[in-house]
Amino acid sequence: MDQYEVVFCIVNNGYSEAVMDSARAAGARGGTVLTATGTANPQAEKFFGITVVPNKEIVMILVDATIKEDVLHNLYRDVGLQTAGQGIAFTLPVNDVVGLTPVEQSEQNAPEQASAEAKPQSSDK
Amino acid sequence: MATVNNKTVKRASKPAPKSKKRAQPKTPVKNIAPYKLLLLITVVPRNKADFFLDLLQGFEVNMQLQLSAFGTATKIFGFFDSDREKQVLFSVIREDNVPAATALLEEKFNSLRGGKGIAFTVPFSSMSGVAAYQFLSNKR
Repeated sequence: MDQYEVVFCIVNNGYSEAVMDSARAAGARGGTVLTATGTANPQAEKFFGITVVPNKEIVMILVDATIKEDVLHNLYRDVGLQTAGQGIAFTLPVNDVVGLTPVEQSEQNAPEQASAEAKPQSSDK
Repeated sequence: MATVNNKTVKRASKPAPKSKKRAQPKTPVKNIAPYKLLLLITVVPRNKADFFLDLLQGFEVNMQLQLSAFGTATKIFGFFDSDREKQVLFSVIREDNVPAATALLEEKFNSLRGGKGIAFTVPFSSMSGVAAYQFLSNKR
């Protein structure tokens, strides 16, 4: 079966960091933020008593299929429609994934990269 | 049969009741979409976007869109804000071209300096318009 799924989360402008914090808590690693403009049915807005802020951010997160449910649950809780972020999240199955560093490899590289970045800083001083 | 003015008139037979079911075509519907289409989504550094667009165009991709975006990876993966600047490429690609395209993308992600990115495909489930399909699949 498909190993990865892509999570799309559409939130009000300025809530992409909240989305990533929420997704990271469930095991997601990184995401991509796109800016967009939302539209809504004015009658539905009036009926449901909500205001749709037109400026939106779309956060696209590629996650392992095993943590998809956790990520969606966290997003619903932290940036869902009942919150200020007014987020809508959904997932799509993806077929061919390339360029994603395996978790084990990225964890091994992280300390090396962190120390490599620390070196120039110390030399500057 | 009925008689009107001593002339025998053939009474029109009652029209057959219209069946509610739609008539089934005798021949099966021709498969007009033999090649599946997929949306190839590629996230690359902004300054490398044109390179990857040209690269993908070599795989019979007739329509591509690019959007400006920002990566959200932690500081470990990029020291400057410019490292977070990304471009998202949406390319409609035919299924049979996907293996070659993804293999080349992976090779470029690993070999190109500052060209690290990710790519994945999402299958189309349906589309409207034969002409649009022919354009997107590059098949006439």
